[in-house]
Amino acid sequence: MEGALNVWFVILAVGALNYLSRLSFIAAFGRRSMPAWLARSLRFVPAAMLTALVLPMVVAVPAADATAWVNPRVLAAIAAAAVAFYTHSTLKTLAVGMLALWSLQWLAGAFG
Amino acid sequence: MLPACVGLIPFGLVCGVGAAAAGVGFLGALGMSAIIFSGAAQILVVQLYTDGAPVAVVVLTCFVAGLRFLMYSAAMAPYFRPLPARWQNGLAFLLTDQAFAASVRRFSATHDPRGGALHFLGGGSALWLMWQITNAIGFLAGHVIPASWSLEFAVPLCFIGLVAPVLRDVPVIVAAVTAGGFVLALAALPMKLNLIVAGVIGILAGTLTDLARERWKAR
Repeated sequence: MEGALNVWFVILAVGALNYLSRLSFIAAFGRRSMPAWLARSLRFVPAAMLTALVLPMVVAVPAADATAWVNPRVLAAIAAAAVAFYTHSTLKTLAVGMLALWSLQWLAGAFG
Repeated sequence: MLPACVGLIPFGLVCGVGAAAAGVGFLGALGMSAIIFSGAAQILVVQLYTDGAPVAVVVLTCFVAGLRFLMYSAAMAPYFRPLPARWQNGLAFLLTDQAFAASVRRFSATHDPRGGALHFLGGGSALWLMWQITNAIGFLAGHVIPASWSLEFAVPLCFIGLVAPVLRDVPVIVAAVTAGGFVLALAALPMKLNLIVAGVIGILAGTLTDLARERWKAR
């Protein structure tokens, strides 16, 4: 990362804003309850933001995999998502996703 | 809180790996885990910042992702209400996805706010400490383990582990699919703005779907 000063500014700013979000309704206790429209929208923050964060990481093809005809990361991610959906287990999701990626990379290396 | 601490381990390790893969220094990685104390925000920072997004975009995107804390804050507020302001200010820092999930049931079961607060303080502190340790180990592992293992792929996998299980409700699915579609379609936007724009559109799409469904049911 370039600009060490900037990094710490980002860390402090993100930390401060996160803290204010955490404190918000606790500090305003009782005096203010959450408006219904806000409560409704906030339910969708994790699904929308995390999907927007994850998808580019999965679809981007790193140099090492560039020869493969299908991006092995996409297939591994689909397998991991199915495991997560049915088992709710982070460990199983990680295990299946990584094993799928390694197998697909090996297949691509052997036959691609 | 013990199950929450154990559940945190892979996520903390993965966040450390993500910081190492992005080329963050050890001090910066420690600073992130200690001060930001949120896996999603930490990964957003390393992804966006190393891709050259301006500081304002990084901070704004993390802020939107952190809006879920408003939800937890509102849910915990009645339980923290009898406590002195100093306690409230301190405990708020420890409010994370895991601490919330582990203590909201506990608080509603007990009528002793001090006991509940002490439990939250102890459990939240343990989670914070565990977060620092696992982030540091993950960071070091990320430097030791060769790049050919593609260990950085564990980062999206961890988030898939969080998102996929909640995709059981139509409005939530709409929010995720819309955000996913837009983040890829808008990949050419400058300054990595595609992430926050797609996220906000996804949140709106989920909200509108939810409203429409409610109207339709009410008829």
